[in-house]
Amino acid sequence: MRKEDTVKLISAEGFEFIIHKEAAMVSQTIRNMLTSPGSFAETQHGEVTFPEISTTILEKICKYFYWNLQFASGKETEFHIEPELTLELMMAANYLHT
Amino acid sequence: MGGACSRKRDQREEEDNIGGGIYRRYGKSGSSKWLATSFSRQSSDIQMGNGKCLSLMDLCIKKIREDIDKYTTFSMLPRDLSQQIFNDLVFSRLLTEASLNAFRDCALQDLYLGEYPGVNNSWMDMVASQGSSLLSVDLSASDVSDDGLIHLKDCINLQTINFNYCDQISDRGLECISGLSNLTSLSFRRNNAITAKGMSAFAGLVNMVQLDLERCPEIHGGLVHLKGLTKLESLNLNWCNCITDADMKSISGLTNLKGLQLSSSKVTDAGISHLKGLHNLSLLNLEGCLVTASCLDSLSALAALLYLNLSRCRLTDDGCEFFSGLGKKLKVLNLAFNEISDTCLAHLKGFTNLESLNLDSCRITGDGLANLTDLRRLKCLELSDTEVASNGLRHLSGLVNLESINLSFTAITDTSLRKLSGLTSLKSLNLDVRQISDTGLAALTSLTGLTHLDLFGARITDSGTSYLRHFKNLRSLEICGGGLTDSGVKNIKDLSSLTLLNLSQNCNLTDRTLEMISGLTGLVSLNVSNSRITSSGLRHLRTLKNLKSLTLESCKVSANDIKSLQENHLPNLVSFRPE
Repeated sequence: MRKEDTVKLISAEGFEFIIHKEAAMVSQTIRNMLTSPGSFAETQHGEVTFPEISTTILEKICKYFYWNLQFASGKETEFHIEPELTLELMMAANYLHT
Repeated sequence: MGGACSRKRDQREEEDNIGGGIYRRYGKSGSSKWLATSFSRQSSDIQMGNGKCLSLMDLCIKKIREDIDKYTTFSMLPRDLSQQIFNDLVFSRLLTEASLNAFRDCALQDLYLGEYPGVNNSWMDMVASQGSSLLSVDLSASDVSDDGLIHLKDCINLQTINFNYCDQISDRGLECISGLSNLTSLSFRRNNAITAKGMSAFAGLVNMVQLDLERCPEIHGGLVHLKGLTKLESLNLNWCNCITDADMKSISGLTNLKGLQLSSSKVTDAGISHLKGLHNLSLLNLEGCLVTASCLDSLSALAALLYLNLSRCRLTDDGCEFFSGLGKKLKVLNLAFNEISDTCLAHLKGFTNLESLNLDSCRITGDGLANLTDLRRLKCLELSDTEVASNGLRHLSGLVNLESINLSFTAITDTSLRKLSGLTSLKSLNLDVRQISDTGLAALTSLTGLTHLDLFGARITDSGTSYLRHFKNLRSLEICGGGLTDSGVKNIKDLSSLTLLNLSQNCNLTDRTLEMISGLTGLVSLNVSNSRITSSGLRHLRTLKNLKSLTLESCKVSANDIKSLQENHLPNLVSFRPE
């Protein structure tokens, strides 16, 4: 993975997820952060911090990004959500416009 | 988080205010046209996750729907999220009295529970717990009674209340909402218990914009309490047959009124004279009122009038010169079922902005249509059951904007139809006329934009069906004159846009017909009654997955045959005959 093709997502606890930019762009909110003109820190360093998203949830979200890409390329599988995560995940999905 | 990108509240569409309250549902021609719009929503309409990549948001909502019994509260969620969950449960018909409690204190804004099964007073606690957040509530057709209505007292920000078809609500219930002065829209359709006394509760609702009391038969005398509601723009009193001229006096000062619906009331010309000051009125529905042409004099004072429905009134040619005074701005005029003749049409000459004219069952002839030649904006012309004959159609040749003409049960003949051949904007054409035959159809092949063609009683035979190939956009087609055999259906099987097909009364059609139309997968409604169709032909219909209505009366088909077809192959079928 070339560094310029990746983006680093940082959870509330400071965990770092390095994923493909293409995957992260599934989120309209992240897409806006990374592509908005001007010199936002996010655009320059390819790094986004989410002080309100826990590590567990952010991991699930990263999984969704990749699931979404797979789905789009024709591999239609189920996306599993653990019942105990659903509400928190929903709030994050709402924030991330995903 | 979350609340930051709160979604806009859905604006519910105004149901049926435009068009002057013309009821098209029950056609006298026995046509099955109305079926297409009258199906209730079925749970099978909800098909999530079929080949479409769901957003994470949708996946979460779907998951919550599946596990709904596990949740005790959603009150920790931002309002817009709990609202989405609520709406989803209502839509999928999975909200129950048990799951309801999870939505307590969620600060929900909209509770659209109209016609939702099982709603009663015990649901009102949850409703009330939304408190000052609640902006609109629809509990139409529920069992909520006056005691339930008391709960709304503290929902002081309520703007919209719909309690249509709630027959357990009376004057006492109305008292409970008398303090909700933020209300802008209130609807209590079909309520037998509301009287003038109860309507005094409306007097303080000074922000009211829209009030709907359709089919409330005891409200006469109550309109005096509306005098102070100066912001009122829309008042629906259709089918309140208790309403009299005195009631019109009560609303004469509501000058912001834009829409007033009075169909089937006891209002006469004298009552209409009280409306002269309503200079903002653009829609007036007087269908079935006791008014004569004299009321036109009063109506000519209404400079903003665009939609006027005078069907089934007592208009005659006597006094019809007052028509000339009606605003030239008029867009929609319904004069159906009045004793008016060509003399009256002469006074419509100047109505150059008219887009829709309904003359159904009036005593007009083809010569009278000469008065319409300047109405170039006309899109819709209804001439059904008139005395219009072949000589009249030439006057329509120049009305190139016409999109819909109904000539059913007129005296027109084949030879005159070529006068319509230049009306290439036509989308809907009703030629349910016995003397129309293949020859007439041949003259219309230039009308390639047609989406609806009604040849119900016309004498169309197999050879005539070859002309149908020119109408590739047809969505509905009715040919029920008895002259079709299977070989004629060959020319119908490729009309792939068809959603409604009525071939009933063609008693020579066999199972072969069903085989041929099995490719018309867009069909929503199919009628092949009175034919030689048998139960063994039903297998050809398995491909018609969109079918909602199937009528095979007087065929060799039993209700059980169709039921098994429905259960095994046609999940969307909601209405069938024999049943």
